[in-house]
This record gives sequence, structure tokens and C-alpha cells, in this order.
Amino acid sequence: MQMQAETNLMSDADMAEEIVIETQDVNVFYGDNHALRGVSLDIPKHQVMALIGPSGCGKSTYLRCLNRMNDTVEGCRVVGKILLDGIDIYGPQVDEVLLRARVGMVFQKPNPFPKSIYDNVAYGPRIHGLAANKDELDEIVLSSLEKAGLLKEVQDRLHSSGTGLSGGQQQRLCIARALAVRPEIILMDEPCSALDPIATAKVEELIDELKENYTIIIVTHSMQQAARVSQRTAFFHLGEIVETGPTEQIFTSPIDERTQGYITGRFG
Amino acid sequence: MSFYPFLIALLLLSAAGYWFGSKKALGAVRQSTSFLTPRPHQFGLFVAIWALLPPLLLGVFWVVFQVMPLQLDAGTNQQIDRVFFPVLGLLAAAGGLFLAIRRIGPDLKVRKSIEAVVFGILILASIISILTTVGIVFSLLFETIQFFKKVPMSEFFFGLNWSPQTALRADQVGSSGAFGSIPLFTGTLLITFIAMCVAVPLGLLSAIYMTEYASDRFRSVVKPLLEILAGIPTVVYGFFAALTVGVFLRDTGSAIGIDIVSESALAAGFVMGMMIIPFVSSLSDDIIMAVPQSLRDGSYGLGATRSETVRKVILPAALPGIVGAVLLAVSRAIGETMIVVMAAGFAANLTANPLEAVTTVTVQIVGLLVGDQEFDSAKTLAAFALALVLFIVTLCLNVIALVVVRKYREKYD
Ligand SMILES: Nc1ncnc2c1ncn2[C@@H]1O[C@H](COP(=O)(O)OP(=O)(O)OP(=O)(O)O)[C@@H](O)[C@H]1O
Ligand SMILES: [Mg+2]
Repeated sequence: MQMQAETNLMSDADMAEEIVIETQDVNVFYGDNHALRGVSLDIPKHQVMALIGPSGCGKSTYLRCLNRMNDTVEGCRVVGKILLDGIDIYGPQVDEVLLRARVGMVFQKPNPFPKSIYDNVAYGPRIHGLAANKDELDEIVLSSLEKAGLLKEVQDRLHSSGTGLSGGQQQRLCIARALAVRPEIILMDEPCSALDPIATAKVEELIDELKENYTIIIVTHSMQQAARVSQRTAFFHLGEIVETGPTEQIFTSPIDERTQGYITGRFG
Repeated sequence: MSFYPFLIALLLLSAAGYWFGSKKALGAVRQSTSFLTPRPHQFGLFVAIWALLPPLLLGVFWVVFQVMPLQLDAGTNQQIDRVFFPVLGLLAAAGGLFLAIRRIGPDLKVRKSIEAVVFGILILASIISILTTVGIVFSLLFETIQFFKKVPMSEFFFGLNWSPQTALRADQVGSSGAFGSIPLFTGTLLITFIAMCVAVPLGLLSAIYMTEYASDRFRSVVKPLLEILAGIPTVVYGFFAALTVGVFLRDTGSAIGIDIVSESALAAGFVMGMMIIPFVSSLSDDIIMAVPQSLRDGSYGLGATRSETVRKVILPAALPGIVGAVLLAVSRAIGETMIVVMAAGFAANLTANPLEAVTTVTVQIVGLLVGDQEFDSAKTLAAFALALVLFIVTLCLNVIALVVVRKYREKYD
């Protein structure tokens, strides 16, 4: 714990960046299972934060706290403070439905709705009333597809089914769908684990571009991916954060020996 | 020797076979040099099966043989039944048993033989059930053809009048019956429609509540309760419809100045709808549960509320399956008999007014066959024609529904 605090301090001082999400001593319980133990982590704005760690260590659980998706899991209890722009998202005045529009999410398995490509992307804008008319909606859909790097491939079949796309295209469709509600933060839970290397490269490229305008938190099992796309990395182990800091530092000179063991492939 | 002592003797024989077989196998297994030998009780089973099979085959052969028209006088026949068959049967059993025991040894593939017998039994069971269905269909078909020899098809399918009497004497007044089945089918449709108006919304909404809103604890308590509703015998629904709902509707009607007969289509359809609610809700429940969690996550992750998720993602995804479920429910309603017999009555009115009395196909089939009937009168045969049409309609509905449901299931696998 002490060491972690030190690295935090150091790097924060180094970079002097703006923090969008501040988590303080978060504990999560699934029934009696204590899945997250006292996790504290600051997430800087417009950067990519990678969460790594062995399976079952609570990365997905942490991610799902940030947009309160854990609320939909029965028996799940979240204790602690999670501040988004200084406001506690578990506070009484916060509407979790609106929160999820601000904090978008991309899942491990591409999960387009069984609707047309257009309707998939238009889903969020429609429920949130982001477009006043058909032209505005068209504009949102096209620009989201463009940002997700998918527009060229699907331009002439916007009204065919989203489930008919390839896996990589589906994942980018899901990213476009998330972008369409204009989130500030995008959570990605192993977004490439169901994709082949070429599709993965495309998504990684996309993540790199997106960080100009969005804050991205990505869970990954691939050390190389974390090294390629992220600026900061947090290493989870058994429900705790062992170490966090600039990605380069974590991968070249980790302080904790558990981190070292994991990134060199000795355990996990 | 009569039948039961024979049966007991046979069973004793095979039990003895089991015992001897196991016993002898125990010795054989001990001497065997190979690693994997069957267990002694499997040898016992093998012997027991061999003791039972020959008399069984003999019995089947015997039954078939007896059905054939043989010119034997009753005395001889009885003699054969009483003496010849049991003796032959026991001899066959003993022979099978003896052969089986002799074959016991390290080389006998006993597990394979038992497997073959199990296979045979399974095949036999499915063949019997299929043959029964085919037999029923053919008897329906045969009687229906008889019916259409007496009453023209055009009258049956297009006639608007249903009063199935046949003359006892040729000179009787009003002797010619009318066999126009249209009023029956419109009555069935009307009641089914009313039932669906009750069952589909209530069943579907409760399924949505159960799957999307209720906590696991609530679900585990309430779902079985709903299934109890499905277990109430339809005759209970029937008198509930006739004595409670029908009378209530009539009294309410007269209080506000509307004329409602106590055997109205509304009462019967309403109660039938109640009966079908659990059917619709448990089918829809399964179908909604089959919509992958990832779609819900996707929708919630975009900031949709629960009801938005239900309306815009879950129901559209589940729609084909739900349509299938509704079709199955319709076919259930069409075939339902007891409720309408008790609550809707026998008056064959051609009307679309739910406050009047109508009758259904099933009710008329009951009416035609109740009491003493000549088997070849047009009146009796009409029941078969109605039943055949009913059978074809529900069969088509079921097939369409199953195809729709299956197609939908495949989509997510
Ligand atoms: N819905 C749930 N109900 C109960 N327990 C859960 C649930 N989801 C996760 N857990 C438990 O919480 C702990 C952390 O799980 P989590 O899914 O966050 O791990 P993870 O780091 O994402 O693992 P992976 O890399 O395999 O995805 C595990 O012990 C898991 O069993
Ligand atoms: Mg995970």
C-alpha cells in the first residue's frame, strides 16, 4: 500500500494532469464474495488507462463500478467513493441512467443489437433525444461511424443487419454506438479478445485516435496491447491494486515483485 | 393354467436366471485373464433377458395369430389358450435361459448384448407411439370419408346452419338435419379471440416482469405459483366460468341495462384466457430468458432504462419466439373443450357479438357423441369430420409455431 501511494504521488507530480475519475477506497461485494478490496485510483483526462492483472482479480468489476453497471447485478454491493468531475456517482442525486450516457462501455464480446447498422448507432441518440430531426440523426450516425473508422466499410449497407458484420466490424460498430451518445469516458472490457490480429490492430489504432477527445479505460490480458495503447497502467491482484503508474515505468521498472512476476509471465 | 400364475412362473424363472447367471459369471470372471471383464450382475441380467424374450415374442406372435380369422371352434381355442400357450411359453423361457447360461464365459460380449436389447426396447417404444398417432389419423380420415358420402362437402364447409338431427322415421317432420359447420368455426374463433385478448397481454407482461424486473427471490416464489394455475383441472375453470363469471356478467349487464345471456361467449372466452395465461407466460419467460445478457448490457450501457431496454431491444429480439408461443396458445384454446362445454353451451348462433351464446367445434363433437348413437348415422360421423378439421388446423398451427420458435432459438446459438 505504501509503495503504491508513493508511485502515485510521483507520477502525478510528474505529469500534472487533470483527473476526471477519482476512486477512493472502493470495496465491492458479490453477496459474501469480497471482490474488490480498498481500491483507490485516479484516472487522468484524455489518456488511455490500462487495467491488467490475472483472471478473477476484479478488473471487470472495477470497470463496471465506474458506470454503475454493477447496479444491474443482483446481490452486488459497492462501498466507497467514486468521483466523476468531483461528484460522487453513487450519491443520491445522481441518475445512473444519465451517468451511463456520460460513461460509455464497450464489451468483451461484440454485442450489436439485432437491428440494422443505422439503428444500432441511432439507438442511444434516439433514447436520449439527441437529434431534433432525421437530418441531425443521420449526421450523428454518420459521424460516429466515421470516428469508429467503420463508415467506409458500411456506407452502402447502413440498413442491413448489424449482426451480419465480421467480428472486428461488429466491435467497431459497438464503439460507434457508444460514441453516438457523446460520452466523455469510454470503458472497454477486453475489447479485442474476440478479434483476430488485424481487427485488433484497427481497434488499437482507433483507441489511439479517440484519446484526443475521450478518456479511455481499457481492460486487457495482452501486455503488448497495454504497452502499445496506454499511457498509464494499473496492476490488479486478488481484488487490490498492487501498483499503478506510467505504462513505461510499470513495464520497464516495476516496483512490486508481483507486478514484475506478472508482466514477465512468471505467474497469472 | 390361467394367465397370472403363468406370468408369475415366468418372472420367477427369469429371477432364477439372474441369480444363476451372476453366480456362474463370478466363477468365470475370477478365472479370466483379461483386465476388463463385465460385472457379474450384467451376466445375470443377460440371462434374465434371454429367459423373458422368447415367451414375449411368442406372445406377440400369438396375439397376431388370434386376430387372424381361423376356423377353430371355441372349445379348441380355449384349450390352446389355457394349456398350449403357457406350456409353450414356459418351455421357450427355460430354453432361452439354458442357452444363455451355457454361453457365459470370458468371450461373451455381454455388455454389447444388453445394449442391443435396450436399443430394441427404445425403438419399439417410439414405433408404438408413432403408430398410435397414425392409427388415430387414419380412423378419423376413414370415418370422415363415410360422412361425406352422406352429407355433401359443400354443405359441411359452407353451410350456415347447424342442427345435426337425422330422422328416426322417414315421415318425421323437420327430419332433415343441417350440417353447415360455419357457425361452429366462427364460434370457436370468437371465443379463442376473446381468450387471446386476455391471455396474451397478461401472460406476456407477467413474463416481462418475472424476467426483467423481479428479484431472484421473488421469482423463485411466484413462478411455481403460476405453474399451479396451470395445474388446475379445466373442469374447475369450467364451472368457475359457468357459475361465477357467467352469472356475474349477466347480473352486471342487467344492472346497466345490457342484455347478456349467462352462457355468453365473453364468459367462456374470459375464463379460457385465464387458463392459458400460465401457458403464455411460461413460454414467453423461456424465450425472453434466451435473449442474451450481452444485449441487455449493451442497452443499459448506453443509458437506456429498463422499460426502454424491454421495448426496444428485448421484445424485438424475442418477437418471433413470442409469436410462436402465441400460436401454440391459440391451438391450445381451439382444442379446449371442458370450459366451453360448461360455459358456452350448445346454441349454434352465427354471430360476432361476444354477449350472445355461441358454440364451438369441440362442444359439438361432445354433443354429437354423448348418449346412445348408431355408429353410421350422419350425426355421429359428423363428429369425425369436425375432429379431423380441428386436428388439421391445430397441427398446422403447432408446426408453424415450432418452426418459428426453433428458427429463433438457432439465431443465438
Ligand atoms: N456477477 C457476479 N456474481 C458473483 N460474483 C462475481 C460476479 N462477477 C464477478 N464475480 C466475482 O468477482 C471476482 C472478480 O471478477 P471479475 O470479473 O471482476 O474479474 P476479472 O479481473 O475481470 O477477470 P477476467 O480477466 O477473467 O475477466 C471474481 O472472484 C468473480 O468470481
Ligand atoms: Mg473480466
